[in-house]
Amino acid sequence: MKNLLYILLLTSHIFFAQKGFENGNALYQKGKYQEAITAYETELSANKQSAELYFNLGNCYYKLNKVAPSIYNYEKALLLNPDDIEIQNNLKFAQKLQIDDIKTVEKVGFNKVIQDFTNTFHYNTWGGITVGLSIVFLLFFVGYYFSEITVSKRLFFLGMFVVMLLLLVSVSSAIFEKNQFNNDQPAIVFSEVVSVKSEPKVGSSDAFMLHEGTKVYILETLDNWNKIQLTDGNEGWIENSAIKRLK
Amino acid sequence: MKRYLILLFLSFQAIIAQVQFEAKVSKQTLGLNERLRIDFTMNDDGDNFTPPNFEGFKVVAGPSQQVSQSWINGRSSFNKTYSYFLLPMQKGTLVIRQASIDIRGQIYKTSPIKITVTAAVEQPREPNDSQVSADESLHLVAEISKTNPYLNEPITVVYKIYFSYNIGITNWRELDKPKYNDFWSQNIDIKQLVAEEGRYNGEKYRFVTLRKTVLYPQKSGKLVIEPLSLDVDVQLPSNRRNIFGQVLLVEDHKRVSAGAKTINVKALPEAGKPADFSGAVGRFAFKVTPSKTNIKSGESLDLEVSVSGTGNLKLFTLPKPIVPTALEMYDPVHSEQVSTPLSGMTGRISDKYAIIPQYKGKYPIKPMTFTYFDLGSKSYKTVTSPEIMINVLEGPNAADNSVATTSDTKKAAVLSSAQFKFIKLKTDLISMKQSDFYGSTLFYLLTLLPFLCIPIIVFFKKKKEAIDGDVAGNKIKLSNKLAKKYLSEAQKEIGNKEPFYIALEKAMHNFLKAKINIETSEMSKEKISEILLERKANPESITAFINLTENCEFARYAPSTSTAIQQDYDKAVAIISELEKQIV
Repeated sequence: MKNLLYILLLTSHIFFAQKGFENGNALYQKGKYQEAITAYETELSANKQSAELYFNLGNCYYKLNKVAPSIYNYEKALLLNPDDIEIQNNLKFAQKLQIDDIKTVEKVGFNKVIQDFTNTFHYNTWGGITVGLSIVFLLFFVGYYFSEITVSKRLFFLGMFVVMLLLLVSVSSAIFEKNQFNNDQPAIVFSEVVSVKSEPKVGSSDAFMLHEGTKVYILETLDNWNKIQLTDGNEGWIENSAIKRLK
Repeated sequence: MKRYLILLFLSFQAIIAQVQFEAKVSKQTLGLNERLRIDFTMNDDGDNFTPPNFEGFKVVAGPSQQVSQSWINGRSSFNKTYSYFLLPMQKGTLVIRQASIDIRGQIYKTSPIKITVTAAVEQPREPNDSQVSADESLHLVAEISKTNPYLNEPITVVYKIYFSYNIGITNWRELDKPKYNDFWSQNIDIKQLVAEEGRYNGEKYRFVTLRKTVLYPQKSGKLVIEPLSLDVDVQLPSNRRNIFGQVLLVEDHKRVSAGAKTINVKALPEAGKPADFSGAVGRFAFKVTPSKTNIKSGESLDLEVSVSGTGNLKLFTLPKPIVPTALEMYDPVHSEQVSTPLSGMTGRISDKYAIIPQYKGKYPIKPMTFTYFDLGSKSYKTVTSPEIMINVLEGPNAADNSVATTSDTKKAAVLSSAQFKFIKLKTDLISMKQSDFYGSTLFYLLTLLPFLCIPIIVFFKKKKEAIDGDVAGNKIKLSNKLAKKYLSEAQKEIGNKEPFYIALEKAMHNFLKAKINIETSEMSKEKISEILLERKANPESITAFINLTENCEFARYAPSTSTAIQQDYDKAVAIISELEKQIV
């Protein structure tokens, strides 16, 4: 009886927690996109998030032809769920609304190979793998230590070294990935048109112009200026108010 | 001697003084519309007179020759003059070069004369001169619609020639064309000159409109319109009449000039001037019209940006639309349908952009703004076009362009059907403030724990091996354990006499085994007391112990009360604990 009550309590809690999401979906279905946004945002203000929530928000903004918020929310969704095909698809639709078309310059070299490798998992997953490997290492040690047969003893000993190596790889991957995550500071341009300066000063000369919806990477910050890099390698300084950080 | 010398000197002087050849002008400075008389005078008869080529002048009359000879008091004087009437053709400083003459085999030259020609001047009135009467009755007037316009505000200049009823005009030539520096000008062609009637200074005149020009000032400040000067052939009435009593007309030409006009151009106000102001002044309507909004990819679309109305239409550029890069936009075709009547340019200018979308999707064309200065309200007005959404219904997808261009039509067809996906209906909301597993204490603990386990395992295994290796110690341990076990069994059986005493005896034996390490077979009172004494046990305790062991055997078969059993148990516990303390 008591268990049942708990289950009931929990489910009703979940139901309550997702009310904004469900409401938003219903409003979206009716074509009331602005209201749907308000409904979805109640979830965000309650510090709840999910890839789907951001995806739906992005859809609403897309329907309202608001470029920057739409792209912003899709990118947010992709941060939580990078492999979702639907999110990637709709992001491409939203990117057609933006004015700038910035080429992506592929990175090459050894660094790129390492990045691709560490990118296969999130750093938390790498952490989990590390823990798992250290337990496996212990098991191998126990096997080695208590084994009576010479062959299995040797095998366990060899296995111990292999596991140790893998463990070091996974730990360094986690460190590298975490570092990468902290250094990677994408942002979306929210101003309709903004001039990127060559120096962090109001009066300095314009390096180039950006339009809303463009994704930039923040490299450095000075007062209310951010040094940004575009996917094609161009760099410049932009004011804080013109962009919104994704992280 | 001295007298001869003086005489010779004097006679020479007389010869030098005798020949004079010089040029004289009536004035050194004159207006463009004035005439100049130049006389080349000599006091001796000469031949081969060569006049200079009067550069910059037009010879109106001449040469006229005049010779005078007189004898006064027996002295003869001779004077010969060549006269020219000149009309300056241009303003500035002109030089009349040398004229030469051959007098008695000697060539004489005049010195060059500098003449300064200024702009046309008003000529004073001379009542009886027929020239003056032409001045009276011929006027060139420049009518300017507004002398303090704004920058780019149209003004008109109309040149009219007024002439009174008693003169006639047969022809004219333009001497000075008006120059409109810092103006954009448009001449309005006058197909046929028509004489109209009008008033000039209150008098009745006929007038002909010669030129109409619309001007758009391109610079603020004081701008000067250079005057128009005309050389007009006029027919003037003379004082003579023919036999029928009609007034005889005299052909003459006359120069008229409209004075220079100064126009004070006001700059457009800076207050409220938008940043994207392109200089349009007037009253305009602004429109951005796409030829269609729903198209297939590869089809073209025309976007027309047009401005219509009145104002300086030809003098500003139209705003350029901003479109997403995925739309291919070509350079515009500019077209102007502007007519320029006296009131200023009116009509329509447009830029037509051909746009070809490449990929499927929705593309916004940003709202465009056009700002102009409204002369009516003297303020800036901004017209904003609405945002235009171009829907490309069919076509390849932007991201998959590499696939779309391949010949594999089947694949492309599948991809081209990629749609904007509907919202997701299910979700698991998670808290935003999720702490990372990596880097947390739990992570470090879980990672290091297995490694910490390794020495512990090693330690325990070592200990176990040590314990396993120690045989005697193990026996003692076992006996000790058994002693305790039997003692506790005895306590349980405290009601039943027989099992109690058996357990008690076993407990005692095992205690001994554990403590002094002897076998049950070796047990005898003597040996026990001997060993115990060796181990420095109290003799009293030893006897008590032996007594109790013996007592156990008796008590098993002898009747005894439960109080005796309890006493025995307490005794056993006391002795065992005592011996435990005493044995080394």
